[in-house]
Formats: sequence, structure tokens, C-alpha cells
Amino acid sequence: MSTTNLISSSYSWGQFTPTLVLVGLALLILIADAFLPRLNKQTCPILGAVVSAGVACFTAGSSASALFTSLACAATAVCLLMAYDYRSLVYASVAGGKHEDGAAEFSALPLLACAGVCALVRSRDLIMLFASLETVTLASYAMSGYFRRNQGSVEAGVKYLILGAVSTGLLVMGAAWFFGATGSFTGDPRFVLAALSNPYLSVGMLLGVALLLAGIFFKVGAVPMHTWIPDVYQGAPTPVSAFLAVVSKLAGFGALLIILLPFIMLQTTVRDMVHSLVLMLAIVAAATLLLGNLGAIPQQNAKRLLGYSSIGQAGFILVFFVSLRSTIIGPVFNYLLAYGIATLMAFYALAILRMQRGSEELSVFRGLGRTNPRTAFMITVSFASLAGVPLTAGFLAKLASFQSLIGSMGRPQFIGLWLLPIMIVCAAAGFYYYFKALRFMYWEKPQANDVPVVFPPVCTCVLALGTLLLIVLGVTPLLF
Amino acid sequence: MTPLSHYLIFSALLFSIGLSGAIMRRNVLVVLMCLELMLTGANVALVAFSRAQGLEGVPVYDAQVLALFVMAIAAAEVAVGLALIVAMFRARRGVESTSLTSLKD
Repeated sequence: MSTTNLISSSYSWGQFTPTLVLVGLALLILIADAFLPRLNKQTCPILGAVVSAGVACFTAGSSASALFTSLACAATAVCLLMAYDYRSLVYASVAGGKHEDGAAEFSALPLLACAGVCALVRSRDLIMLFASLETVTLASYAMSGYFRRNQGSVEAGVKYLILGAVSTGLLVMGAAWFFGATGSFTGDPRFVLAALSNPYLSVGMLLGVALLLAGIFFKVGAVPMHTWIPDVYQGAPTPVSAFLAVVSKLAGFGALLIILLPFIMLQTTVRDMVHSLVLMLAIVAAATLLLGNLGAIPQQNAKRLLGYSSIGQAGFILVFFVSLRSTIIGPVFNYLLAYGIATLMAFYALAILRMQRGSEELSVFRGLGRTNPRTAFMITVSFASLAGVPLTAGFLAKLASFQSLIGSMGRPQFIGLWLLPIMIVCAAAGFYYYFKALRFMYWEKPQANDVPVVFPPVCTCVLALGTLLLIVLGVTPLLF
Repeated sequence: MTPLSHYLIFSALLFSIGLSGAIMRRNVLVVLMCLELMLTGANVALVAFSRAQGLEGVPVYDAQVLALFVMAIAAAEVAVGLALIVAMFRARRGVESTSLTSLKD
């Protein structure tokens, strides 16, 4: 019996239909961009959004990989619609606004990254996990630095590339040591157990798992691998920041679930190892919560604030992992869904405001409550859900995170005793910084020359749909 | 036959030279080279482990397959990285990482 046979036989082509469709479409767009000079570039993001929304509907199912795939594809569709509304800035960036050659790449790259996520959530071994994670990451580097005439965008791209490549190195080294200890990339509990019961091999195994987790923590933006997030979110084009905040984070949590799976299955047999793993996850979750939420408080740049907020939200998701049960997949997905909808809405509104008011500071929200009352309400719902106000999906998601911690109070290290106060402080801090944007909308008067912002119909539809979903999911016990 | 530990020490050496260079060097081009060194170190470990896990001289090829993927992805990373560095050079007339200061708290 060789493990090579096992790996190739655990996949079928049918599982990769979403990936193949998205890659095919991305290549089609790239070829059309190069060989059809008369192609109207506006059609590319629309086509991409329609196809990825179609894939999202087509793959919807109850298994974890189907849920993650459809959320990733739906979020990509929203990001592409955002790129459509952002097109004048995209055209200005590729050739100084003179022509539109090459602008279609901006629609092809998110599709490629999303294809990577679709493959990632179906991977059962570290080779597939690594290759698909890198597909996501490489496309993200190119997207972050896409506005090559813009200092901030290039700086974000370079910083993301350097830090991301370090985390790739850690991930590969971790995979090597994991393989060296277990003799397989599949994370089969039998091999893991055999490695853990041998004193020499268990050291190598722990080294491997630690390096793997460090690589994955980079993707989810957990402390100490979070430093790239505020800079890259601030510098990257707004649709790309939204993509990184939702799809890339989803990929990270999908990978984290896959890597921790053998330990979830083995937790009754190797208690000591699992307890130290849980303690480590709890410390990382606490540090992530504190750094993300307290770091967000002084921020004035809205994208930077959303970057810190995404670190803080990742902390709340990491709390689920502290209980280390196989039942966490559902709550983790629900949290990502509530977070994803609200974050996409916030970034979408911000992209339109950036186009029309020319700034990304929080003050760009000024007076929206008077000039655009309906849109201001929808933005309010999105920030309220991020903060966790009752009657929104964000509240139930945060509640599930608290419940999961209270449910794992029985752990020997008394994690709940110190983690729970930290979570309460961080949730309270969230109210402060998310409501700073609301204060600008309702308490600040619009400036004398402020005209009402024109939200394009696509944006209004997405915001309305998001508002509806957040409230419906928050009021009815559909998910939680 | 060279024992496994020698390969692992060599790989750890390459990896740590790469990691320390990536953290300490200022020139982004040199940082990119150091990142390649990290991946090479990991590849050495992968191939050594693939030999060590094998039976009767037949290695477990899974690890070597991953090493091939790593090389391909490292090449893609360099392609994207050099493009970004060219854009950075055009914008700032330099490739020092100390000049990356427009985004900060």
C-alpha cells in the first residue's frame, strides 16, 4: 500500500467543477482581453459576477465544503460588482485613463483566487491544501498591488508579498516536518497517533504542526501574524480589500479546520497534546481579540479601521476553535457569513464614497444621515451587525462564540475564566469604534458644498439585500 | 550513506539564513532571494524525509511531488514579486524597504 495511491484516489474530477468553471472563465477573460481589442471592458466584471453567483447557487449544499464554496463564490460576485462600480479608478490605474487595455485582469484575478478557495475547502491532504492556498495568495498579491501608479497600492502589494512569502516558507517547512513524522500528508488520525506515541517523532510532529499553524494564522490574520492586515487593507484597491477581508479569511479558516481535524478526532486519546494545543489556540485568540479591537479604537482611516476590525472578528472566530469539537464547523460558518455580509456592505459603501468624495477617512461618512437617509440606514445595519447589536445576525454570531467558550469551561486550564472577560471587553470596544462611523453619519452636519452621494443601482441592490439578510438572520432562528 | 540528520541540519541552516535575511535585509530584491532560500531549505527537508520514509530504497514520492509544487509556486511568486518591485522602483526610485512608510498608524 502506498500513500500516493491514497491521495490521488481521494479526489474526483466532479469535486472540482466549481474550480474548473472559475479558472476557465478567468482564462477566457484574459484571452478576450488580449485578443479582442473592441471588447467592452465593463462586461468582464459583470460576466464574472454572474458566473460566480451561478456557481454559488449551483454548489449550495449542506456539507461544510459546499457551504464554504458558495459563500466564497457569492462574496467574489459582490467584489466583482464592486469592481464594476469602481471601474473609472481601475481604468485610470492601468494606463492613466488613456485606454482600457489590461483592465480585465482586475476581474480575472478574483476569479482565480476564488477557484483556489473552492479547491482548498475540498482538500484532504497538505499538497492540495498548499497548492490551492498559494493560488489564493498569489492572485491576492497581484490584486493588492494592481494600482501600480498609486504609492499606497504598490506598498501594500510589496508588504503583502514579503510577509506572505515568509508565511509560505513556514507552511512548507511545517508540511515537511509533518510528513517526516507521520509519513503521509493526509493527516490520517492513525498515522498522527502513531507519531505522537513515539517520543522522537512527536517532537518533529509538534514542530510541523506549529509551523503549519503559523502559516495558516497569517491567512486568518491572527496575532502574531497579523501585521500585514491594516497596511494591506488600507493600501489595496477597495474591492480587493473587501475580497481579502472576506474570501481570503474564509480560506484561512477552511485551512485551519482541515489542519486541526486529526486533533479534533484524537482528542480523547491524546489528552496532553490536545490540551496544550487548546491552550495555545486560546492565547492566540485572546491576543488577536485584544490587538484587533484595541488597535481599531484610534483609527481614522475607514479601511484601516475595517482591517483592525477584521483582526478582532477573527479573534471571535478563533474562540470557537478553543472548544476543538467537530461541531464547530456550523457556528464558524455562520459567523463568517454574518461577518462577510456586513463587511462587504461596509466596503461597498466605502468604495462608492471614495469615488464621489475622494477620501477614505471616516469623515467621508459625514452627514449621510441627512443627504442619503436610506443608504445611511443600510450602512448603520452593517456596522451594527459588525458590533453585535441585537436583532442583527452579528449579535447571534457573537453570542454563539460566547456560548461555545462557556460550553468548554470544563477544560483543565480554566481558559474560560480569563478568556471570557477579554471577550467582553473586546465586544464593548467594538461598539465604540464601529459607532464612530455612525456618529459621522448622524451627528455631523454635511459640509456646505456636500451634495447627496449618488449610489449606483447595483450598489443599492447589494446593500438592500445585505440589510435584509442581516436582519432576517438576526431575527429568525434560521441559522443560529 | 549520509544520515538523515545531516540533511535536516543543512535544511534548517538554509531556512534560518533565509528567514533572518528576510527579516533583516533592507533591499527588497535581497529579501526576495532570502525568501527563495527559505523555500529551498524546506524543499531539502521534504526530499530528505521522502527518502527516509521509504522502504527498501524506494522513496515515498508524495513529498517529492510537494517539492515540485513548491518550486513552481516559488517561480510564480518571484514573477509577481519582480513585477511589484519594478512598480515600486518606478514610483520611488529605489527598492529599500525603509522607504515603505506611506501606510502606518
